[in-house]
Amino acid sequence: MAVLSTSALNANHGVIEVRYDDVDRAYSVQRDLRLLGFALFLLSDIVLFSMFIFAYLYLRNSVPLWPPVNSLGHQLPRFDLAFATMNSVVLFGSGVTMHFALEAWKRVERSAFFAWLFATIVLGVCFLLGQAYEYHSIAITWAGSTMGATFFTLTGMHGLHVFVGVVYLAILGIQASRGVYTPAKYFGLTAGTLYWHFVDVIWVALFFLFYLM
Amino acid sequence: MAVSAIGYGQQTFDQEHDHIHPEPDSFIRKYVFSIDHKIIGFQYMITGFLFFVIAGLLAEVIRIQLLTPAGAILKPEVYNGVYTLHGTAMVWMVIIPLVTGGFGNFVMPLQIGARDVAFPWLNMVSFWIFPVSGMLLFASVLVGAPDAGWTEYAPISVQGPPGTNLWCAAIFLIGISSTMTGLNFMVTIAKMRAPGMTWTRMPLFTWATFATALINMVATVALSAALAALFIERVFGVPFFDPAHGGSPILWQHMFWFYSHPAVYIMILPAFGIISEVLPTFARKPIFGYKMIAFSSLSIAILGFAVWAHHMFTSGLAPWLQLPFMLITMVIGIPTGIKIFSWMATLWGGKIHFSPAMLFAVGFLLTFSFGGVTGVFLASVPADLHEHGTYFVVAHFHYVLFGGSVFGIFSGMYYWWPKMTGRLMNEALGKWHFWTTFIGFNGTFLPMHWLGLYGMPRRYASYPAFAALYPQAQFWNDVASGFSFLMASSTLLFFANMLWSFKYGKPAGKNPWGARTLEWMIASPPPYYNFKHIPAVLDNPYYFDKPLPYRNLEDEDTPLEKPVDKPASHRTGAHA
Repeated sequence: MAVLSTSALNANHGVIEVRYDDVDRAYSVQRDLRLLGFALFLLSDIVLFSMFIFAYLYLRNSVPLWPPVNSLGHQLPRFDLAFATMNSVVLFGSGVTMHFALEAWKRVERSAFFAWLFATIVLGVCFLLGQAYEYHSIAITWAGSTMGATFFTLTGMHGLHVFVGVVYLAILGIQASRGVYTPAKYFGLTAGTLYWHFVDVIWVALFFLFYLM
Repeated sequence: MAVSAIGYGQQTFDQEHDHIHPEPDSFIRKYVFSIDHKIIGFQYMITGFLFFVIAGLLAEVIRIQLLTPAGAILKPEVYNGVYTLHGTAMVWMVIIPLVTGGFGNFVMPLQIGARDVAFPWLNMVSFWIFPVSGMLLFASVLVGAPDAGWTEYAPISVQGPPGTNLWCAAIFLIGISSTMTGLNFMVTIAKMRAPGMTWTRMPLFTWATFATALINMVATVALSAALAALFIERVFGVPFFDPAHGGSPILWQHMFWFYSHPAVYIMILPAFGIISEVLPTFARKPIFGYKMIAFSSLSIAILGFAVWAHHMFTSGLAPWLQLPFMLITMVIGIPTGIKIFSWMATLWGGKIHFSPAMLFAVGFLLTFSFGGVTGVFLASVPADLHEHGTYFVVAHFHYVLFGGSVFGIFSGMYYWWPKMTGRLMNEALGKWHFWTTFIGFNGTFLPMHWLGLYGMPRRYASYPAFAALYPQAQFWNDVASGFSFLMASSTLLFFANMLWSFKYGKPAGKNPWGARTLEWMIASPPPYYNFKHIPAVLDNPYYFDKPLPYRNLEDEDTPLEKPVDKPASHRTGAHA
């Protein structure tokens, strides 16, 4: 037994941690690894956004006037705060529904889980459509100015993350319906929820930087 | 069923659920798309040394070119491509993959008593990105090689030849690979150490690998961002860096160096780790200042994020910013100095055996310290204003990258070769290799210090104006070139030694050096499953005067009766 062969350790070094709460230890070890791995992945993603945010602030501070002046001498328009606020509410709402979805899963309420997950996906798609509308109606272009460059690159990267998230949640829904997850083993759903909240948090920063600042 | 585990924080281990997984039997799964960390380590080394030969030959082309002030063989535009590819390949295709992917993969899981890394499949993907990105990089020659140096400063890079796009793509890919490796190693070291192996009982190479993985995780993504921006600027005309369209070339320097300064620690920290293993083993003494060496790795990794602008003192950086960057850069000299003095104290009074690995380690101490001292010169703003962009800088970073990282790589190769292959190398040949490399290296790069101080600019294809200014310019350049040929040929001795070892090398046995870290407790080469029983660890490994601090190793020699269990965990990936 493991207990016997390592009892010397326990005697010498005191700290003993026995974990009985996880019935399936192989699973709980895997879950621990994946949770840390996923958290580190999100951390690296934060760095990616931070670098572009740094570029935005740097370029913004290198000109006297913001929004900057184009080659014809006209100042570019500000972004539409009202529409973006509406779209943000949609995205944050999807964060709330995702939270309820995971909670429903933990309480073994399958139909509630699928309803909340579906609502999350619908809201995510609405946000993307809203963003597409905003891109379409906006007067500035990607290559036209540093304002356009940073705006379209950052919100585009974020939109790509939302798109990946929508696909990801859909896959999770299919897996859940096929019985991949159980009430005790649902790390995939936890990761999906984390990712979705992460995308929300990034949007908070972008909303502040482009629409409020 | 009594399910129990002892642990210190997170390292829990439980024999009830310990599985040894079957070794794959097809050639493809075993040697090509392998998920075994040892095979992946080998793959990194083979690919890395292949690129080492190519990038080294490019360096010789540079040295031949500089034999005469007018430039001996190449047109300036070709020369630009040559030094750009030399620098790029040496940094991203040689040193980083060798020290993290190569040694990190092969040695680290063995040192912490694990069967593999946390995510073996991710590890395989990380490796296979590497040769692809290497080929992309060298394919750029076909469409017009990138020509703005390995730093690819804007706006030259924005206007550069089409190959610059391939350069961006190649480095972006290797950056992704490097980030994934960092993530993998951090989780592995944090979660998969053998029971009893607390943070302060971890071998020092593992400590260094952990600090390196931290930088890989955080900084490399910043590089990816910079490359993505450069790529879309070049392809779609989106203004980030080109001042003609409102961009800022200085922004590129910030984004690039925010990665690339930490990257020099990615290249040197694992070498520090290797030296910390080799010195106590061949001096037969406990490492001096174990905790100080371990924590200084971490503090170098963290401080390394706050010094990037010292590469930009001549870019018009505000003076109030120059001062803190100068001071923090000098502060990094403190943890580095702690390491150097700890290593010297480890040698002090030891019974030193000058094996090739030890020779390279001691050579490292000399050359790396020298490079560290010139680094302090460069960190100082007033001195840097004079030295920036000259051969003094070239001399400095070759002393830390070749005299540091590459000496560390050679030391590690001689040290772990018996573990990797089960055979010993030829000691005499190894000593010849060291002395020819050491003399060739110093002969090549020492003269560059005064060439630089006299004002010879780096990256010029010819130097007639400088030769008119400084009459001995050609003499010292010829000296450097001559010694560089010696250094290049010395590498042949190393490759010859590998071949010799395969054919004539004596079987190494488990532990030819009498080393004490866990990888030496198992057979050479290690079996597929690494450890039959996961050992328990009672202390840090470096007390040469005490008994080995391991339990559970006793019956390693008896054959495995029932080697195979149903794969239940990460080898096949239990879903969810």
